[in-house]
Amino acid sequence: MTDAILSVDGLVKRFGGLVAVNEVSFDVPRGLIVGLIGINGAGKTTLMNCVNGIYHSDGGRVVVDGHDMTNHKPHEIASLGVGRTFQIPRIFHRMTLIENLMVPVLGSEKSDAELTDMAEACLDRVDLYPLRGNNGEELSGGQQKLLELARVLMFDPALILLDEPFAGVNPSLCRIMIQQIEKMKQDGKSFLLVSHDLTSIYRLSDQISVLNQGEIIASGTVETIQSDPAVIEAYLGN
Amino acid sequence: MQRSSSPEIEIDTRRADTVRRTLWYGLVVVILIWCAVIPVFDGNLSLYFAMMMWVTLATGLNFIAGFTGYMPFGYVAFYGIGAYATGIAVKVLGMSVYLAIPFAGVVGVLFGLLIAPTLRLSGIYFAIVSLSLAIICQRAIALMPEEVTGGSLGLNLGVVTVREHGYYAMLLILVAALLTASWLARSRLGKALKAIRDDAEAAEALGVNVTRSRLYAWLLATLFPALAGGTQAWFTGALDPQTAFDVLVTAKTVIYAMAGGLGTVLGPLVGTVVLVWVDELIWRAFPVLNNFLLGAIIAALILFAPRGLIGSLTRRYPRLRRYIM
Ligand SMILES: Nc1ncnc2c1ncn2[C@@H]1O[C@H](COP(=O)(O)OP(=O)(O)OP(=O)(O)O)[C@@H](O)[C@H]1O
Ligand SMILES: [Mg+2]
Repeated sequence: MTDAILSVDGLVKRFGGLVAVNEVSFDVPRGLIVGLIGINGAGKTTLMNCVNGIYHSDGGRVVVDGHDMTNHKPHEIASLGVGRTFQIPRIFHRMTLIENLMVPVLGSEKSDAELTDMAEACLDRVDLYPLRGNNGEELSGGQQKLLELARVLMFDPALILLDEPFAGVNPSLCRIMIQQIEKMKQDGKSFLLVSHDLTSIYRLSDQISVLNQGEIIASGTVETIQSDPAVIEAYLGN
Repeated sequence: MQRSSSPEIEIDTRRADTVRRTLWYGLVVVILIWCAVIPVFDGNLSLYFAMMMWVTLATGLNFIAGFTGYMPFGYVAFYGIGAYATGIAVKVLGMSVYLAIPFAGVVGVLFGLLIAPTLRLSGIYFAIVSLSLAIICQRAIALMPEEVTGGSLGLNLGVVTVREHGYYAMLLILVAALLTASWLARSRLGKALKAIRDDAEAAEALGVNVTRSRLYAWLLATLFPALAGGTQAWFTGALDPQTAFDVLVTAKTVIYAMAGGLGTVLGPLVGTVVLVWVDELIWRAFPVLNNFLLGAIIAALILFAPRGLIGSLTRRYPRLRRYIM
């Protein structure tokens, strides 16, 4: 592929004897949403952790926007414009919601007042504005997911890694999230999206890869994946 | 949108900022004036000196323990090194004590820089290594040639220094510590540090340079105890390895800071002032049961207000958070 914002080549990650990610290669083309599906323990989160530098990989390359970022530090990868959310929300519990949103823009040249305005607007987009002065610990699980999405909105990265963004979020807020993702895509953002919510992932993704036991067993458009017998067997179970 | 249709909230936020700033600076000014006039009216100089010193130590500890979650059990090392840097500068190098204090600060920070790699350890491992380093420092100083450190007997500065000047030096250092704390709480570095404390990996994934931010907090946390230790040596006119590296210094600092609330600007100040006073009052009323009662009060505090006085207050009344940090 010619214009990929993220290009992963032969990535390997082992935990002791377990090969969690085995020679995985794929691209995220600029401006598109790539969905990643696979059963529990397939290696999706591990793959994401290798891409954004939280894990040291044991082989292969991660190229972000033309820069080889293999095993660089997470903050260096983030500063190239890679944002992410976590499967289990990782928000800052003893900081207010506004402060939570300030974290990704601490290096910004904008004034604190401007950033506060931006943070309030981002919170508003995910319906959390009324809680802006509360501490992170005072949010419900689903609200924490929304806060993570707002944090990504604030960050405004070129590539966004979303790990199970819809898990535990009620349908109406899910709709808000999907709208926000679609809006960001219109703004030219690219996504790597992991989800067990097949309806949403089929709706949003331009391409889908299926991970099974650390290996990609199929890649393609939604239609080809849905009818691929290997996928059906591995993922949907007969 | 509900956001733009609530101008009264905007005004409220701005007012809260003004109230907070007024409260905070008002408090610092009151402390400054109060402590400044004590020697003039022949008040209890030692008690107030101790109070100022403990607030400075607790505030310094807060920079690393409250803002990043690292608990340096060997915090006293910087206090002791500051004391000895001052003692050696005055007695051996013949430096004026007024220069010796900033020198002590520099030595403390350099030592902090030297052992900064221990920040790679986390949680209890960092705490234990830090404690061991403090013990090593104590032994090393006791074993050094007597012409330099005075060996296990220590050094006597009394003849060359003025006690009241030491008192005012402590006051200046205290004010500097409080202003640094209030700046840090509002600064971007402070936000980075709080994020690191809550979840370092997530902060790093969002672009925060965790190693560098932590180092800055660490250096701030090493500066103030070094200055305080040096000034304590100046005020008392004497120092020896036993008292300069007493583990109780760390323990008291941790207890005072926790009693008020780590991670809040006011916490270490309030916790120290309250506990030092309580200690003094109990001591006057029940000289025999003093330690027993103080221990019981501290245990009750930790049990019923685990986040300290200020931390628990803002947890109960979240609206207060905007007025007191
Ligand atoms: N830190 C770790 N240490 C050891 N093994 C790990 C670690 N993280 C993940 N694994 C293992 O790697 C494999 C892949 O885990 P991973 O979390 O990537 O799965 P996943 O596809 O995200 O699953 P899920 O859908 O349940 O989130 C699993 O077998 C898991 O046990
Ligand atoms: Mg996962």
